[in-house]
Amino acid sequence: MSFAVTAAQLSKSYRYSRRGRGWRAAFSSEQVTIEAVAGVDFQIAPGERVAIIGPNGAGKSTTLKMLSGILQPSSGAATVLGLVPWRQRKALAYRIGVVFGQRSQLWGELPARDSFDLLRHVYDQDARVFARRLGEMSERFALGELLDQPVHRMSLGQRMRCEITASLLHGPELLFLDEPTIGLDVTAKAAIRDFIREHARDHGLTVLLTSHDTRDIELVCDRVIVVNQGRIVVDQPTDQLRRRFLGRKIITFQSAGAAVSLDLPGVTRRAGAAHATVLEVDTRVVRVEQVIAAAMADGGIEDVTIEDPPMEEVIHDIYAAAR
Amino acid sequence: MIAALRLYATQVVLANRMALADRANFALQAGGMFINNAFMLVLWGLFFAGFKSVGGWRQGDMALLMGITMTVVGVSGVAFGGYRDMAATILRGELDALLTQPKGLMGRLLARECLATAWGDLIGGPLLLAGFARLSWGEAPLVVAGIAGGTVVYVSAGVCFASLAFWASGARSFARDLTDFTLVFSTYPGSIYRGAVKAIAFSILPAGFVVMAPVRMVRDASVETAAMVAGAAVLYAALAMALFHLGLSRYRRGASVAG
Amino acid sequence: MTSTLRRAEARSTLRAAASALRMGFDQTLAGWPVLAGRCLFFGLIMTVLSALWDKVAAEQVAGAIALPPGGVVLYVGATEWITLSLPAVYLRFEDDIRSGGLEIHLLRPKPYLLQTLALGLGGGLARLAALGVTAILLLALSGRAWPPLEGLAFLLVLGPLGLLVGVMLYALAGLAAFWARRTLPFQLIIQKLMFLLGGLFAPVTLYPAALAEVARASPFAAHLYWAGAQVMAPSLMGFLVGAGWQLAWILLLGAACLGLWRLGLAKLLREGTI
Repeated sequence: MSFAVTAAQLSKSYRYSRRGRGWRAAFSSEQVTIEAVAGVDFQIAPGERVAIIGPNGAGKSTTLKMLSGILQPSSGAATVLGLVPWRQRKALAYRIGVVFGQRSQLWGELPARDSFDLLRHVYDQDARVFARRLGEMSERFALGELLDQPVHRMSLGQRMRCEITASLLHGPELLFLDEPTIGLDVTAKAAIRDFIREHARDHGLTVLLTSHDTRDIELVCDRVIVVNQGRIVVDQPTDQLRRRFLGRKIITFQSAGAAVSLDLPGVTRRAGAAHATVLEVDTRVVRVEQVIAAAMADGGIEDVTIEDPPMEEVIHDIYAAAR
Repeated sequence: MIAALRLYATQVVLANRMALADRANFALQAGGMFINNAFMLVLWGLFFAGFKSVGGWRQGDMALLMGITMTVVGVSGVAFGGYRDMAATILRGELDALLTQPKGLMGRLLARECLATAWGDLIGGPLLLAGFARLSWGEAPLVVAGIAGGTVVYVSAGVCFASLAFWASGARSFARDLTDFTLVFSTYPGSIYRGAVKAIAFSILPAGFVVMAPVRMVRDASVETAAMVAGAAVLYAALAMALFHLGLSRYRRGASVAG
Repeated sequence: MTSTLRRAEARSTLRAAASALRMGFDQTLAGWPVLAGRCLFFGLIMTVLSALWDKVAAEQVAGAIALPPGGVVLYVGATEWITLSLPAVYLRFEDDIRSGGLEIHLLRPKPYLLQTLALGLGGGLARLAALGVTAILLLALSGRAWPPLEGLAFLLVLGPLGLLVGVMLYALAGLAAFWARRTLPFQLIIQKLMFLLGGLFAPVTLYPAALAEVARASPFAAHLYWAGAQVMAPSLMGFLVGAGWQLAWILLLGAACLGLWRLGLAKLLREGTI
């Protein structure tokens, strides 16, 4: 079988010279090498949706940059859609789509439609095919009137929908997403996740994404690669990972009086502030509704919030288990 | 080739529409630059009214020089406006998104912005040339050729300065300073420069090739003067591409300070 | 309020202004790369301008007006010194007034106008110092004859006074932000008048008679011309006349700034927003 992406001992190290303090240091410096990515190996099959996660500085973005052809590795090999990305960057560019969550590829002051039209020329797309794709996507993504609105007047969620549309209009086979839902509200995140998942499924699109949000991974990807300090720590299907690490919720109760007392299986209490009870709930054992119902019965609850455990915590757990 | 030109034209049109999106601001900047230029012309008018000539240059020659400079800056800002802040673009890591696209990195960079002030230059320059530079219609092709050559050198110099950003993070304001310095040299009679200053004006800050060589070509049309304008354009364009790509390969090795 | 109390308050206001002045000075020095760029620019523009004026002096064309003895390069050096030292005070006013940041300043006990002018003047003085050193280096390198010592002494007084005139002129442009969204057009007009009527590139005495008369009496000459004239042909009388014009304009412009500020503030307090 031919893979959409392969990486073999892919590595990237940066060198910089570190100068000490004092006059002596002005004449000597020490060469320091940082291994951002230290020999990663993986293969991704066509149509697979894979998340690369890890703490800040783990080497996610560097890996993504090497695979999209922006950055040359220091050693190792990789192919993306049968091409060597950093040598055949242009040929590859026609076949991939890229979204950098924190950087816009649209022209702020102009309607999104104008940016799309420019991209049509950049990617040499036939006008009719392009119009058909835009029509499909604008229906799916409810872009409608947004298309004729200046991008800088859009909300972040609307803008991100346009960004993703922009990256898909030339019909790529592979989509790179770097933090696609960063800074968005819950509804906007849900819309983006649904769209990416469905679009990828319908078009056989291979997806490679990095994110800090565990829900992005759970809802979009069928496989997770965890990296830390430039190395792969875990490479597993999401299902397997979910069972072990992702099936938890954090529920916080605000109460006027004493702390909520609950004794249910699968519920552990965490340290909280005054008048706040923080519970970690294992959803494989007990359902969230059950926990809330039990707490409500206890009385005196003023507010409830339900959250996913932060990514750092999940990674920490995975990392601890892998050792 | 035609497809590439069409793509470039599309981008320039977009950049201009973006500059026009805030109409009041656009009018203010373009009009401000126009008035700015008019004031400078009054000063030069006073100068030549008093001193008649400097180093053989008379009012008409100065009008020719200023007209070409303004038109060069105008064309550069309207059609290649990205040169102005290219160093900042590189330092902000904005190349990444462009590198994932298949085409024309340099084109995308140059056409990403249209400078509103440049419209003031672009309107004022030709007016000045037509009204005060004492040109005949027969010289028009020479003037156009001179402006084309000067624009290539000016934008190429801007790209060279911006490419410094691949090596040094302080290049942002420095690159702009160097472009401004080139412009300062380009707004005084070419006859006043001697020795080291002249050498600088024909090398690092190539005002000599941006305006003085074109002015000479118009006033003294010959194979040599034309070859000088054309040769400089080719040379500086090649230099800019070489320097930029050298920097880019450094950036893609991850050795650059940018990103 | 008793007079002692009032005096104590005036003293504390001045102390606050002095510390704003020092802050402006330090801030500008801290941004030394920008300052260095400005010094480099000073060197460049002086190279070009001295080439121009030396060329003019070398070949007196028939029918041309005569240059003053010794040429005008030193004069231009002095006016460029002041011009390049002038900070963009108008932008600070525009930012504060337009961003709503003014309200925070109004909650403070010290007068905003004075504080902001002092901050700008402090920054300008730092530039005067750095560019002054540059000027001396340039002069030494050029091998040109030094101006008479008393001319330099006079310049040390008239230069900073001229700078203050410039700061106030730009403050007027900045205060226009109470009524206009952008102050840039006002600044551009004032700047061009500084160049023309202030005599940036040549002493106003070289202008046609009528224009020269208008220019000499304008605040723009107080900003540049009077200081520059002292390095060309220093005289105690010229110094006193120049300083007189400068002080008169400082008072007038100060009153104008205060008037404009009060009008703007009244508008802000009446309408709530700008």
